[in-house]
Formats: sequence, C-alpha cells, structure tokens
Amino acid sequence: MYRIRFHGRGGQGMKTASRILGSAFFREGYEVQDAPRYGAERRGAPIFAYVRAAQRPIHERGGIAQPDLVVVADETLTPIPAAGVLAGVSARTVLLINSAESEDAWKARLNYAGRIVRLPGGGETRERAETATIGAICAGAAARLVGRISREALALAVDDEIAALGREAAEKSRERALAAFDALDFAEGCVMEGEAHDARGYAAPEWVELAAEAALAAAPDIRAVATSVEVRTGLWRTLRPVIDYDHCKGCSWVCSTLCPDSAIQVDAEGAPRIDYDHCKGCLVCVAVCPPHAIRALPEKDVQQAQEATA
Amino acid sequence: MSEHVIQRMKDLPSTHLLGSGTPMCAGCGGLGALHEIYDLLGTRTVFVNAAGCMTLLSVYPFTPFRGSWLYTAMASAPAGAQGVRDALDILLEHKRIPPEDDLSTVVLTGDGAAYGMGLSATSGAIERGLDFLYLCYDNEGYGNTGQQFSGATPHAARTSTSAGARGYSGEKKDLFSIWTAHRPVYAATVIGAEPLDLAKKIEKAKRLTGPRLVLALAPCPTGWDFDPQQTVEIGRLAVRTGIWPLKEYLDGKVVHTRVPHPRQPVEDYLKTQGRFRHLFEPARNEALLGEIQARVDAYWANVE
Repeated sequence: MYRIRFHGRGGQGMKTASRILGSAFFREGYEVQDAPRYGAERRGAPIFAYVRAAQRPIHERGGIAQPDLVVVADETLTPIPAAGVLAGVSARTVLLINSAESEDAWKARLNYAGRIVRLPGGGETRERAETATIGAICAGAAARLVGRISREALALAVDDEIAALGREAAEKSRERALAAFDALDFAEGCVMEGEAHDARGYAAPEWVELAAEAALAAAPDIRAVATSVEVRTGLWRTLRPVIDYDHCKGCSWVCSTLCPDSAIQVDAEGAPRIDYDHCKGCLVCVAVCPPHAIRALPEKDVQQAQEATA
Repeated sequence: MSEHVIQRMKDLPSTHLLGSGTPMCAGCGGLGALHEIYDLLGTRTVFVNAAGCMTLLSVYPFTPFRGSWLYTAMASAPAGAQGVRDALDILLEHKRIPPEDDLSTVVLTGDGAAYGMGLSATSGAIERGLDFLYLCYDNEGYGNTGQQFSGATPHAARTSTSAGARGYSGEKKDLFSIWTAHRPVYAATVIGAEPLDLAKKIEKAKRLTGPRLVLALAPCPTGWDFDPQQTVEIGRLAVRTGIWPLKEYLDGKVVHTRVPHPRQPVEDYLKTQGRFRHLFEPARNEALLGEIQARVDAYWANVE
C-alpha cells in the first residue's frame, strides 16, 4: 500500500492535491482513500491531506503515521512542530519539498536519512495568486515519484478535480501538473510501497494516566483573559507587511482598526506598530494604507536578512 | 469601555481588546467586524457563541476574550442567552452581585445558525423581549465546514453544494426584515470595512435595552475565493454597489445610513470573487448578471 502525506498551508490546495493524486491512482485501477484532516483548515494555517492507494481493499483509516512519501508544498512549515512534517518518517520515506534550496542543504538541515526531491520550479512561486496551482504541481510530481500513474491518467484526474473551477483554472493546473510530472523522470518510481500494517502488531500509545478530577476542576474553563496571544500565528505568514515610517502619515486608526487580527498596535506617539508574533500576513494593511507606506516582503528573505545581521 | 461619541475615524479606539493569535483565517472579514465591535462593547459582556467558525476562537486553553464566553449548539444560542440573562437578573435581584457587576449578553453566530437552524430560537427570544445583542457574522455559507450553501447564500454564488454553471439557485434571505417584522428595539446592518458607520451603530445599540440585531457582512477569503488582502476592498465594494445596504431600524423606522451615489455596477463586486467566476468565464452570463443587477436596482428604487 502507498501512504502519502501532503503538508501545506490553507489556500495552497493540499486537499485538491490529494484528490488529484487519488483520482489518478483510481484511474489506474487502485483502491484509493484521499482525505484532508478536518479541524484547522484556515487560510495560512498548516494543513494535512492523506492518500492511500493499494491493489486490495484498504482497511486502514485515519491519518497516516508512517508515510512512504511526504509532500511539503511550503518549506516554511518544516520548523513548525504543529505542522508535523517529519512525523513518522524513516530512511525509506521520500521527501518532496517546494524550495529553491538544494537537496543537500535540506538533507543537512533536517538530518534526513531518506531521499529528498525538490518540487520542479521549487521556490519560484512567490506571487500569492499563483499558490492555487501548487496543489496541482504537487500532485503531478507525486504521481511521477510513485511511478504507477500514466501521464494520461494524471491529466484526466486534474480535469476531474479542477473542472468545476472553470476552464482556465483547469488548463493552468493540468499544464503545471504535467510539467512537474515530466520534469521528474529521473526520480520515477523512487517511492516504494509500505508494508501492510497488521492489527496484531498494534502497540497502544504510551498514555500517561491522569487521575480523574472533580468535575468542576476538570471542566475546560478558561479563567485567564486573552490567552490566545500565546499562539504565535505569525508563523502562518509567508509575506510580511513592513511599514516605511518615512512615508507613514500616522493615520494609525486606519490600519490598526482594519487589521482583523488586532496585530497592529498604536504606540504612545500614535504610530502603528505591527506585532509580527501574531500578524498572519493577510496584507489588508498594505491594501488600505492611505499613503501606501506599507510594503509586502517575502518572509523568508526578511528572516534570512535578519539571520545574516544577527 | 469607551463612553465618548464617535464622530470621525480618529475617534475610533486605538487600543484593541480582542486578543490576537486566534485561529480565524488570515483576512477574515468576520473577525475584522468582531474586533471592531468588541472594542466598543467592552469586556463586561458574555458572548454566547452558536457553533460555527468563531467557536474556534475559544479552544481550551486559549481565548481572545477578556470577558465571558459560552459555547452552545448551532440552533440554541438565543436560548443560552436567555439562561445567562435570567441568571444575572436573579443574582441582581437577590443582591448577590452589585449592579456594577452586571454583564451584557451577546449572541455571536454565523449565518448558518442565524438564517437557518437558529431562527426559531431567535424568533422566540425576540418575542419574549430578551435583553440581548445578536451579532451575526454573515459569510453567506457554512464556512467552517467548507462553504456549503446556507439561507444567506446569494443567488448564483458557487458553493461546495451549488457548483453548477448557475451556482446557488435560491435567494439570500432577508434576515434584517425577518427581525424588524418582530418589532425589536434595534436592528442594523454593518460591515467591518466601514468602521465609522459600524461604530456609530454599536454605540447606539449598546445604550438600548431589549432584542437588538447587528448583522455584519463578513467577506470570506476562503469561502468566497479571493486574496485575503482584498477583504476590506470587497467590503467597500459591497456597499458602493448597493448589494449590501447599510441601514438601521429604530422606533419602527428603517433609515439607510449610507446611500451609494452613484451606485457602482454590481459586477464590480462580483468579479472580485472566485465564487462568481462562472458568471464571467468562459463567457459572460449576461442573463444572470442582468438578473442580479435588476434585483439590486429594484431594492434601491424603493429607497431612493
């Protein structure tokens, strides 16, 4: 059985990627499961989607703990524990990553024993409007790495899943998926099917037993205020709004009111200050700033520049 | 809690009460409206939240609120609000809390509950004259589960359950009129993209006692398919094209607080969103576009 796990951010089309790959497997006669993980499918938040494909009926359910292929549509997810990119990988797990950096750089950074393949055109998708096709690219690339899916089945699977979004979207997605498929001929079939899991080999998780508490004490009451600030939603950001204070007119009631996340505070001098721990990078502030004094910079570039000066 | 009267954008609160770090989508129009409203309502509030996107605001142990919050099933937030209000009234009556410890009761609900599942409980609460503010963030579909159509979905919009060439075949329910037919104390439509209009209405609603509706159109990048940074621009277009009339109901009369003049063609709004793309591609659907424009024209013909 093939077990494939997709990692991306909400809006990058990971659910679509899993559906395209699932449909392509199905067209090749496989039994298939494809599903996103329900719970946190927010724009920008880490997203998971799963595909299982086998020549026999599939009795496994739920998330994929031991993947044969991990697809990472957004490299900025790798350091985020909640994204769980490396959960359950082994030396035989292939990692397909969307990045401008080399395979060797990633092997060193992640201390990764298995094979790493870069997504064709990796790291070039800077424009957010283009991110919608990343899912199709991931599906096309994954199909080639598995080596069991023909070009024709892939093209038809893209049409199956994207047709509802209009002809232009379908054509663009098909073109990108096939280009990724073609570009990875050197890695065709490098993903190996994993062993069938046997219920008899099941080991229970190492639960920590907690003694039952009185209902009042154990009820999920939150007794502190605004604890949400402990959640660093700044990690969702791929583009960073930066205020050019030379051009800022100080009309902070515009940006700080319209920031949906309360992530622009007004300081004692009345100047707006962006809280990068929580800014999700929606860029509403860039769009509404009357003197156009806020620019959007790729988060990765800003972080690299900061590391270089630190 | 601000007590001054808001006249200009400059008067809007500069400290924000709603905590950051919520799991709402980047560019969420509903969160935008809620954070503006919370600054004005203040922390002496109990939010009774019907199941929907915003129930994820408070997932143990995290909450963005500085006051109380309670979670109910989708259809029963007004009933929950009744219980909270009654409990507070009993505590006050028995002098177990001083009057300054009283809280105002706010229902927070999406359109799925407000226009559909929760309508009966809402009607009952208005009927009983419950003293509560009813805040609906209307993103025109069941957004938390993948944007299936709801009673608030506009005609012709594509949703995950109306994906055909003509989109949703139904009509957006007129929740404002359903409310005003009950003769409540107050009802208003707002949008986060027009913070001054919103603030004036919230200040007014806050001072009244009885059932009060605040209905906020909530542009939804995920469900409506647009880049998150366009949330505010799309909100402004909703007002300027007249598809989302800003109005309020007070003392039995409806007053439009913003009459767009000249009104922009409604397609300026529609073409910003993927959920209406099928009206423009592969070929313009003149019939459907004309139908949508005619409905907006007919609405304003009765106002102007």
